[in-house]
This record gives sequence, C-alpha cells and structure tokens, in this order.
Amino acid sequence: MQRIEAIKALADVRKGALSVAIMQSCAAWHDAEQADEFHVDAQACMGSACAIGLGLALAQPSRKVIVLDGDGGLLMQLGSLITVVAAAPANFYHFVFDNGAHQSSGNQPVPAVGEFDWCQLALSAGYRYADGFSEVDELRSALPHLLASRGPVLVRLGIDREDGPARWPKAKMADQIQAMKAALAR
Amino acid sequence: MAAQSVPADLLLEQIRKCSITHVLTVPDTVQKSLLAALAHQETPRLLTVCTEDEAVGINLGLYAGNQNPMLIIQNNGFYACLNAVKSLSLDARVPLLMLIGEFARDVSKASSENALRAVHLLVPTLETWGIPYFRLEGPDDAGCLCEAYERAHGDRGPAAVIVGAPTC
Repeated sequence: MQRIEAIKALADVRKGALSVAIMQSCAAWHDAEQADEFHVDAQACMGSACAIGLGLALAQPSRKVIVLDGDGGLLMQLGSLITVVAAAPANFYHFVFDNGAHQSSGNQPVPAVGEFDWCQLALSAGYRYADGFSEVDELRSALPHLLASRGPVLVRLGIDREDGPARWPKAKMADQIQAMKAALAR
Repeated sequence: MAAQSVPADLLLEQIRKCSITHVLTVPDTVQKSLLAALAHQETPRLLTVCTEDEAVGINLGLYAGNQNPMLIIQNNGFYACLNAVKSLSLDARVPLLMLIGEFARDVSKASSENALRAVHLLVPTLETWGIPYFRLEGPDDAGCLCEAYERAHGDRGPAAVIVGAPTC
C-alpha cells in the first residue's frame, strides 16, 4: 500500500492519541492534518521515535501513544524494542512503515532486507502483540481491535517505495514540545 | 587534585529536592551505589535502558509529557549519545540533566591530568558543545546537582554533573 493510505487509515482512528512521527512519515502526517498540539516530529535523530514515544507513554499512561516509525531508523536503535518491553507501557502502539529502504537518502536498501521479520522481532522482544499489513483495507479493518488491545503492540506496515525528493516538516520540534506540554497541562 | 567518594544518600537527597520523577540509566560503574539506592525506591522510577541514545529520547518524551526526568550515565556513554544530545536537547530545547561518571579516572589526579581520552576529553567535549557542567569531587559538592538541574531547566538544555569518584 502507499504510505499516504496507511497514514489516512491511522488518522481516522487516532481519536486524540499522542503521536510521534519520524522521517518521511512526518510530512504525510502533517498533510493528513494530524500535526496538532498532541503531536511531535522526531527530527535530526534517526531511530529516536520509539524512545520519544515511550517517554510520552510513561508520562501519560491514560492516553494512547501512536509512534509512526521507519524501518531504517528503528534498525539504528533496535534495542529500544527491548527497552519498551522492560517499561511495559500498556498504551504504546508502534507502527513501522516498512519499505525496505532508506527513502530519504535515495532508497538504498536497509541491511538484510527481506531476511528478517519485524513482527517476529517484536514478539521475541516481548511485545504483547504484533501484526503486519500490506493492504489498506485489511489494515482499516484491524485498527480498532489493535488500538483497543493492551500494549505494547507493533504493527508492520508494508508500504511501496517512493521516489522523489524527501519532504521535511517546517514545524520546529522545540515549539511542538512546548505546545504539547501546555495542552497536556490543561 | 584528588576526588573523594560521595555517599549515595546525599545524592538521593538532592535528586528528591529537584522532584525528579524518572531516572534513566545505562548502568555506570562509578555510580553503582547510587543506582542500588534508587533501585530500592518507588519514586523516582529507575528505568534501565539499552543505550544512552534511548535515554535521551525517553527524557524528551517524559518532559513533553510533563514529567521531570534525569540521566545517570558514564563518560563513554555520553560520547556515544552526542548526536541525540545535539538533536533532542540542544536543538529541541529540552532540559537534560546528566550525572556522568568518570569511569577509569585515577582519582588521585585531576581529570585533565589523566592519560585516558575517556577521562581527559570529557570537559573539552562538554565545552565544545556549550554544555554547562558542574564537578562533584567530594561530599561538599553534592549541592551542585540541584544547581545543574536549575541550569538545565533555566536554559532548556543539557547540563552535566561530572562524578569524579565512585559513589559510596
């Protein structure tokens, strides 16, 4: 499926969840009008979306946290899967946009592309549930159940490779963080 | 100048004064006794993570969620997470209080006189990045933890307490 299809499906079920996006999911989440005061773009630190999302989940246990992660970035901080399990956040929903490539730098394949399985990695780490989708209709059908499940949950989203220049959000992370703090304090 | 051990209880008292909610650590040999003391407390919550990069990221998330975290790491671990400190504290303007243990320091000498790069390059590295630091060289310095906390929150950025000798 296309990234934007998966993004729209997530936007339709978000229902006020806190969100963190990274790399090429940032611009798409902004396009879907989801970059509100409950959202942060993880900028300039590949692999950090999972950790940032975990911090939010621990800070706000009564709110769901959706992490829009990338396969290339998550490989850079793969141990964060273990750290998530150690912290055991029931409100943590980890979506991995998997196109098997580092899209932003020119679609170079990630190491061992096609040899490993994100769902198996997550389950071996101790995630409570993991599933994968490559068709948007199947994803849409599953999302309500997935987000109602006790986390941590990992969902692998098989997305098509995209060509063209990388797109980056204009919002500053520092401003987003302060806006989120203020919104959560209300 | 020699560094002296600081009792963990003194540091725990300072951590409580700062109302720290979460301590994120990749365990540091130098601060072993402090980590042991924290492990027996319910608050602040002690969370052991896999890498210092993660610790810096989780710090951001906790801060954005209106919690009050800090890090306990080692000098080598600080070097390992510099990119995360750059992006997720300096650029993102997020307070990041770090207790950094001087692993492998000969405590009978000043850090700058230690031959090991891990020891003598810490202060130059902090200075290069414009990160304020405070030295914990003995029990009389314990109050610097709260000073570093105030600096991190005042600047909305990183601040380091360099733990010169193993805590006791």
